[in-house]
Amino acid sequence: MDETLETGLAARARGKEEALASWLRERSPVLLGFSGGVDSAYLGCVAVQTLGPEKVLAVIGRSPSYPAAQWATAREVAERVGLPVLEIDTHEMDDPRYAANPTNRCYFCKSELWTLLGRVAAERGFPTILDGGNADDRTDWRPGAKAANEHSVRSPLAEVGLTKAEIRYLSRASGLPTWSKPSSPCLSSRLPYGTPVTAPRLRQVERAEEALRELGVLGDLRVRHHGDLARVELDQRELDEWLEPARLAALAAAVADAGFRRVAVDLRGFRSGSLNVLGGVSAG
Amino acid sequence: MSAEALQQALAALGIHGSVEARGALAILSLEGDAAPFRDPELRARLVAIASEHDFTNLALEVNHPPGEGAALHRD
Repeated sequence: MDETLETGLAARARGKEEALASWLRERSPVLLGFSGGVDSAYLGCVAVQTLGPEKVLAVIGRSPSYPAAQWATAREVAERVGLPVLEIDTHEMDDPRYAANPTNRCYFCKSELWTLLGRVAAERGFPTILDGGNADDRTDWRPGAKAANEHSVRSPLAEVGLTKAEIRYLSRASGLPTWSKPSSPCLSSRLPYGTPVTAPRLRQVERAEEALRELGVLGDLRVRHHGDLARVELDQRELDEWLEPARLAALAAAVADAGFRRVAVDLRGFRSGSLNVLGGVSAG
Repeated sequence: MSAEALQQALAALGIHGSVEARGALAILSLEGDAAPFRDPELRARLVAIASEHDFTNLALEVNHPPGEGAALHRD
């Protein structure tokens, strides 16, 4: 990155980090919906550094749609920064409105999550509930944000204007291992809208993505579930490498081992929310 | 959108294979090997052509060798 640009990014990010710390002090103690992703890991880190561990509780919601690898990262990050964690089981798959996989699927998942976290917050005396939404998220299709609003969940990263790039910069400066971690939304996001969400389908996607990571695929990666066909999305640089015939055959075999009869590689490469595009859904 | 029209447009560029449509997703099953697709400019060009035919995505199907991969292998 150009030095002037980096200095500008650093200055902006530092200013917003100070604003974030003030925001948190004014609303302490805080309970955080914690996935262990880039955003919530950073927010948890700043919260515990600013308020101390007795004033912060990070809650992980576990379900089949939450990748096991992400769970491991969440625990590792929490331990590393001294963030107190509570793990609860969520049951969004039991809700037929969620399982039918409509375009607002995330709303039903987040409604249950924030209801459960609201109970924990009330029982334990946490007046403020937070999520890791950032300033960039406001431009994407996020029906889960509606559920957060209905449950008075605050998004301090977005409120102080922190973008994903700034969060990655600050995470790196704080020594957080998540700074370069690809975004990892829940596994249900790999199923086209209207395809029912089932535990076996989610497991199939998870196994395929794990196998590709073991093969050495780096960067953003999604295995989109189109019934018998898996559509693999890779970063452009990875596509350059993995379209070499021998590597491509290995990739296909790994994905097929997860139970897909057909394997295809998307030539456009990774695109966040690509199933929104295919399904004709936009932020609107 | 027409899989056949896209198939013809790709063939005109020397990309021979069959195209199957699944909604706005086009699946290309290639007759040759995939090595030329390592070129990002070629990929971008093909994606743009697919887009001109109203497909939002163009995916290259990979035929993995028999005996490897899923038990549900395609014949």
